[in-house]
Amino acid sequence: MAADEGGDDAMSDLHWMTVGAAARAIAAKELSPVDLTKALLDRIEKLDPTLNAFIRVDGEAAMQAAKAAETEARSGRLRGPLHGVPVGIKDIIDVAGLPTTCHSKVLQDNMATADAVCVEKLRGAGAIVLGKLSTHEFAIGGPSFDLPWPPARNPWNPDHHPGGSSSGSGSGVAAGLFPMALGTDTGGSVRNPASCCGIVGLKPTYGLVSRRGVFPLSFTLDHVGPMTRTVADNALMLETIAGHDPLDPGSAAASQGHYGAALDRSLRGLRVGFVRHFHEIDTPADPEVTAALEHVARSLQLEGADLRDVKLPTLGEFGAVNRVNLQSEAWSIHGPWLSDRPGDYGQLSRQRLMAGAFMSAGDYMLASRRRLQMIAEVEAALREVDVLLCASSMDPACRIEDAVEVARTYPRQARTPFNVTGHPALAMMAGLSKGGLPVSVQFVGRYFDEATVFQVARAWERAAGTDKKHPAIG
Amino acid sequence: MNKETIEVLARSAGLAKALAEFPEDVTVAAKQAADVAQKVKRPADPRAEPWPPMKAGTTL
Repeated sequence: MAADEGGDDAMSDLHWMTVGAAARAIAAKELSPVDLTKALLDRIEKLDPTLNAFIRVDGEAAMQAAKAAETEARSGRLRGPLHGVPVGIKDIIDVAGLPTTCHSKVLQDNMATADAVCVEKLRGAGAIVLGKLSTHEFAIGGPSFDLPWPPARNPWNPDHHPGGSSSGSGSGVAAGLFPMALGTDTGGSVRNPASCCGIVGLKPTYGLVSRRGVFPLSFTLDHVGPMTRTVADNALMLETIAGHDPLDPGSAAASQGHYGAALDRSLRGLRVGFVRHFHEIDTPADPEVTAALEHVARSLQLEGADLRDVKLPTLGEFGAVNRVNLQSEAWSIHGPWLSDRPGDYGQLSRQRLMAGAFMSAGDYMLASRRRLQMIAEVEAALREVDVLLCASSMDPACRIEDAVEVARTYPRQARTPFNVTGHPALAMMAGLSKGGLPVSVQFVGRYFDEATVFQVARAWERAAGTDKKHPAIG
Repeated sequence: MNKETIEVLARSAGLAKALAEFPEDVTVAAKQAADVAQKVKRPADPRAEPWPPMKAGTTL
């Protein structure tokens, strides 16, 4: 499927408008939140039967919120920087009055009584919630065809998977169903769909965004992150959802803020560490991915960056530490349900979640001790460079119904290291494969230095025009 | 991990029903667990501490 190189600001193409452009137009009374929301709901009605990005569209509530936003905007009262801009919410995140199903029969009627903190912050900034988005079951089991709802599909080619577990978020943002979405990331679940769908997905520093009101998968690895079509929008969304939450035990004490401050700053003198062994030795990447990563590296050099090679622990060991911690912690959550009603889970999540039953306390503690050493090794690397550049996915997305290929390609990624260490990591488009599917790159920064990650990501976006590439759908 | 060990561990973890209804899934889960656990390197220093640390009132 060919890329549509359409612009972002044309009022006739409301579905490709960026968050920033829409918010500015609404504030200037040049765009009605009602018109924008209606246009997106119409597009959802047309495309979602193919993409399955939504579990539940909350159209009536969205239109009511849009009318209220319009009235407020007309009288010059703006709630915040996202006033009147629609957003989609991954369905493991609570939205008051809607069920949080986690895409599972187990929680089909699990009504949320309050907004998650991240949703509350988005609404406080004026965003309009369009509905709940598809996920892999409990953010771990998918893509699956044995759940109450079908899996989301990739708008670049609906025969291919959109990545996961925040699959509806990635699919919907890329397809122009909404300009921003919330995802969650425990082993790469914001960055995988961002990579497969060619959008921008950030896993922030551990503890930067509150997890309160988000169904847990793994307490020490879970992160909530923004998913958008542009780097600037991602920074804007992070600015809204970041901040200390005294009722989230993992919440960081402070955040830096001003995430978009360095977006247009030159890269001159910035030290970028290229982790080549991830995709050249540990998990050899598809040649198109390797070529794209080299192209990104050369482009950053041309922008003035000082490129160096960096060595970290192997992907295999990062992955093992991630899995032992994740599955042990997840078992502590799902054990009772897996004992009583194993048939209510899809097969993939049943297999993955039961693995924790076979981990010992010794396995968990050993992985946790090795984890601190890995954190120290990444910290040491980030004392020598300002940002890391590495692969995200080693392959373009495969066909969704090819279970063998899905099982082969899913673990071929370099995202889990930064769940293990908690560093901020952003995945975005590095180009398009010959088959017309996105390939990806990842940038990683120091704790709470998302601003520098955005600076480098924006330099690549500006050089390559990735923000102008959309799937030719609809 | 052999079949008998898997069954004993599954029952002691409360997975008797899963063992009866989805025996292959229980075996896959047990093998996944054994596979990843043996890939984690043991820190050479016995004093190596875990993450997250026990630090009252602080975070990262």
